[in-house]
Amino acid sequence: MGDENRGREQILARIRAAMGTAAPAQKAAANEKIIVRIENPLKRFRAECAANNTECLVRPDWAGCGNALGELLGEIPEGEIFVQEAPLLRRAIAKSSETRAIRWSSQGQLSESSPAAVTLARVLVAESGSVLVSTACGGRAASVATPVHIVLAETRQLVPDLGTALAAIRQHGELFANSSFSLITGSSRTADIEKILVLGAHGPRRLVVLLSEQSE
Amino acid sequence: MSAASRQFFQDATAKAVDVELREIVRRGIDHYDLVVGRGKARFADWEAARQRCHEIRREAINHLDRYLLEFEQRVRDRGGHVFWAETAEEARKYVLDLAASAGVRTVVKSKSMVAEEIHLNGALESRGIKVWETDLGEFIVQLRREPPFHIVTPAMHLTREQIAKLFREKLGGVEAEDPPSLVAVARRALRRAFFSAEMGITGANFLVADSGMIAITSNEGNARLCASLPRIHVAIVGIEKVVPRLEDLAILWPVLATAGTGQPITCYNTLVGGPRAPGEVDGPEEFHVVLLDNGRTRLLADVEQREALHCIRCGACLNACPVFRSIGGHAYGTVYSGPIGSVIMPHLGGLGAYQHLSYASSLCGACTEVCPVKIDLHRHLLQNRRNAVEESLRPLSEKIGMRLWQWAMLDAGRFRRLAWAVRMAMRLAYGMRLEGTALDPARAWTKNRAAPPIPRHSFRAMWRKTRGG
Repeated sequence: MGDENRGREQILARIRAAMGTAAPAQKAAANEKIIVRIENPLKRFRAECAANNTECLVRPDWAGCGNALGELLGEIPEGEIFVQEAPLLRRAIAKSSETRAIRWSSQGQLSESSPAAVTLARVLVAESGSVLVSTACGGRAASVATPVHIVLAETRQLVPDLGTALAAIRQHGELFANSSFSLITGSSRTADIEKILVLGAHGPRRLVVLLSEQSE
Repeated sequence: MSAASRQFFQDATAKAVDVELREIVRRGIDHYDLVVGRGKARFADWEAARQRCHEIRREAINHLDRYLLEFEQRVRDRGGHVFWAETAEEARKYVLDLAASAGVRTVVKSKSMVAEEIHLNGALESRGIKVWETDLGEFIVQLRREPPFHIVTPAMHLTREQIAKLFREKLGGVEAEDPPSLVAVARRALRRAFFSAEMGITGANFLVADSGMIAITSNEGNARLCASLPRIHVAIVGIEKVVPRLEDLAILWPVLATAGTGQPITCYNTLVGGPRAPGEVDGPEEFHVVLLDNGRTRLLADVEQREALHCIRCGACLNACPVFRSIGGHAYGTVYSGPIGSVIMPHLGGLGAYQHLSYASSLCGACTEVCPVKIDLHRHLLQNRRNAVEESLRPLSEKIGMRLWQWAMLDAGRFRRLAWAVRMAMRLAYGMRLEGTALDPARAWTKNRAAPPIPRHSFRAMWRKTRGG
């Protein structure tokens, strides 16, 4: 369909004819001048999470995160929890999986009625209290289609700012190995009715980040 | 006078005196002003951020062919399709053919001004395809069969009571009128559509050339669902949306969020580069990007106004504009309203049809001051006015009036005598209670408002007496 595209050459010819000479470049400041420098990424990340309605729980190690995850899943209503297929998550969720129905991402797409999803993250951004996920983190829908999204990560995954986060996914061919990435900041929201903020529009109403201080 | 221009005067006059509407809009924009102020304060240097965004966009627009080709190549490398549409009709046809060949019956759509521009919903519906607008504001105006009121907040002209009434009539299940309950009603209605639609249609805020990815920004998560669950994902995007590098988003994303809604960053900033890749859990089987020209290369050829293509559609100029605040978005009668709409519509739809919009401005420059990519908006409005005069698109009465004004202004004594005569005539007319009637020369103003008091003495006389003291 797209290969017999007559308009392509026409548009390109018009662009080239229109441009003639490019407007001269002006000096623009570097990122360091534009954004406020972040001294303590963990402190900043927690402060931003508090402001954007992300629940951030820091535990000394993965065992602690596993316990916290168990407690969290205990509060989630009935239904099959969708979990990213990853050895770390297999271990973290081992206890809870005895009592809860789990669908691993290796078993296919999540179901419409799934009450929660548990995934890893690619990096965490201190500047905005954001979680960056790729399709490797349980697919595209895992982090947006359930009412609760729980992210497990390590403090070493924290980067100070968005520029560093974007540069990180360029490394090791990751950018082209994943068909999609999402930078998630807080829970889904809308202010379309009288500018009043309502949480939980189409995406998760609750976003929880469980952070392990120790690396696995 | 074009039909669009006549309609504009009629609608603008009516909306300007709709006190209830003006109050709703005022409240919305007051809230916006408050949060945007806080948002800007988070930057080390907001002005430097604006300058950087201007430079990123300038670089992209001035090398548009190179970056579009780079983008296209990378999307194709990932197995996506890129279609270049010269006109709205070509873009519509591509999507309709695609839908027909894939047997699409239901489409979920996230907010896209370009889809509005090409009137996509009507075209799909005429083929019997059900289209669900999934952004809450768009969903509301779709149910009302109305265009969006504002490019960022489509339903800002409605109260919760009006929305509750609408939902009761069209959806049912409304138990309370508070915003959380209404959002829950919409969420339930749209939930099934997301999981059953065969095609998801989105716009894109940026096309990232070096990564071959579209960048979509949304708060609700609906755009992400549109790009994740259906079997086919189509993104319809203007050719001007390209940016050179992935790292450019590190500044553009926060600036767009701050200028658009006052948030430090929008909830979801998503990059999509292709269909589901081998080994991925989910995602569409097909990914199509429709690159739309539809008059944009005409604007590109206008060296004076080319920078209007830098626009990132944040809506800041609409919120700052005293005319938009008074008449709202619908009165413009165009897809793009407010100052940016008045600048670009003559290029997209023809100067003859849309030159009048450049006069819907006090030239106060508030739009230029707030534009996060530093487009010199009010200067472009002035240039459109000049072009309209040069192409003899202004009414004869205006030409005669300007000549008379020139004649009066070129002689101090003449000006004084004429000003006296006008003051006397107005006092006499208003003394005879002609204010606001068909005989009132200032009727356009006085029909719905009190006339300003006619001064007893001229400014020159007062100046002679007091020397400004």
